[in-house]
Amino acid sequence: MTTTRLRGPHAGPWGPIPAAAFLALLSGLVGIGLPFVITAPTAMTLMTQGTINAILATSVGYLIRQSGFVSFGQASFFGLGAYVTALLIKSAALPFAVAVLLGVLLPTLFGFLISLVIVRVSGVAFSMLTLAVAQVFYEIVVKWRDLAGGDDGLSVTLPATFIGIPSSVFQTPTTMFAICWITLTLILFLMYCLSRSRFGMLCSAIRDNEERARFIGYGTLLPRAVIFAISSASGAIGGVLFCLYNGFVSPDILHWTMSGAALVMAIVGGAEFVVGPALGALVYLGVKDALGNITEHWQAIVGIALIIVTVGWPTGIAGLFNTLWKRVRAARPA
Amino acid sequence: MSQIALRGVGLTRRYGGFTALRGVDLSVPAGEIRGLIGPNGAGKSTLIDVLSGRAAHWSGQVFVGDTDVSRHSVQKRRRSGLARSFQRTSIFPSLTVRHQLELAAQSGADVDEVLLQLNLDAMQQVYAAELSYGDQRRLDLALALIGRPRVLLLDEPAAGLTVQESLTLARLLRDLVKNWGITVLIVEHDMEVVFSICDRITVLNLGELLVEGTADEVRTSPKVISAYLGRSAA
Repeated sequence: MTTTRLRGPHAGPWGPIPAAAFLALLSGLVGIGLPFVITAPTAMTLMTQGTINAILATSVGYLIRQSGFVSFGQASFFGLGAYVTALLIKSAALPFAVAVLLGVLLPTLFGFLISLVIVRVSGVAFSMLTLAVAQVFYEIVVKWRDLAGGDDGLSVTLPATFIGIPSSVFQTPTTMFAICWITLTLILFLMYCLSRSRFGMLCSAIRDNEERARFIGYGTLLPRAVIFAISSASGAIGGVLFCLYNGFVSPDILHWTMSGAALVMAIVGGAEFVVGPALGALVYLGVKDALGNITEHWQAIVGIALIIVTVGWPTGIAGLFNTLWKRVRAARPA
Repeated sequence: MSQIALRGVGLTRRYGGFTALRGVDLSVPAGEIRGLIGPNGAGKSTLIDVLSGRAAHWSGQVFVGDTDVSRHSVQKRRRSGLARSFQRTSIFPSLTVRHQLELAAQSGADVDEVLLQLNLDAMQQVYAAELSYGDQRRLDLALALIGRPRVLLLDEPAAGLTVQESLTLARLLRDLVKNWGITVLIVEHDMEVVFSICDRITVLNLGELLVEGTADEVRTSPKVISAYLGRSAA
């Protein structure tokens, strides 16, 4: 008889939350403090872009972790968030803050509605549907030049202030890094809390065994749609931050290669863990930057690394850290 | 006459041109443990699927007590007091034993009691994936039992267990459902289990109801012997 006592992902629903809150606070302070330590603008720019990508990768990883769905089209929500914000700011029809809010809410609502259809299928069919949706938006943006500027994209001049704060904070690497980092931290913390809640437990159960979940009395469509909407929201937040930071959006952010990169980041980092995809994004962009200086074929090296990780190290970087941590704890005298 | 807890009327299920279940009528009185046996392909699991709402494209009516649940979803049937287990172990591998029972106990049912009754209390913090096969079968049963359903449909709960494990499970099951007043319809290939715990037995053959009676009546029925052995009783 097995009697090993393990701490499961839902061990004591609210038990580890204070520790996670402390870590989140610490992470927030790091985000504020880091720009004082790293002063090189290039490094700060790279880290800011990395953090925005980490938010996108986190949205992909969350979907995998909580529902088992692999999205090949997560860039659609990132791109929608960015384009909605850009278009609303450009039109000047609404206050800046409302434009930013709608940049998150509209893709989230769209994600929720479309998920009511697409989460009914699973596996490759689901992945292909997400890819198709993303490509539809890509084509719309490319072809509808009058609205979205086509291949040339859209330049956006931010209004002077955002709820009383100078908009320049969004386009200065040091301050924007802190904003993006704190946003990422909050997203990770909220996702962690949610995964520890009864709702998170139900989603894990549905991911494990959808039929059994129905036979213990739960509807399975709505929880999966909510997970998809949360994932869409996270992607859209990344897109809004991208738009604010760069003051420019182009169809590239809706292209399937963007979705593919986010998926690679999530898998390399370890989608099984809340922080894994974010870790993967930072490593991915660091490696891309380092290798990009050496060879233009850096993608081939990333591809080989992905094969190695997928086959030999399926839990990703976060999984490796977790294994090492367990070994350290096991080696510690009782 | 005792109250009927589960009733199926004219249950028919077709797979293309093949009729797996042909107008089966079934009534199980409250508190009874009813065995459902028959040769391979008799329609036993199909009947359980139709009763539980798992099957699509079937005809007939299903009642739990006086409630017609024929058009109810699986979830609604569960809320009406109809629960089931599966032929193949159906649990949530990434959840601990306790957490999946807490999840299944939607109306605040006593998780501790089920853990204790099914001898799962010592492993309540263990992931289901880490359990032995026998423990997983008991967890599967616990998921169906939690909340004390009115009617429990069991599809080969002893499949894959050793003879000793099967008999232990059978005794455990009999005591539990009798104490809790649950009505049970159980499909089981292990005749020792069926004859030891069932009040009455229904025999299906080729999708039709063949015989219904006590263990002794079924054991000696020429129709049953013929269906199982392909010849008349000597």
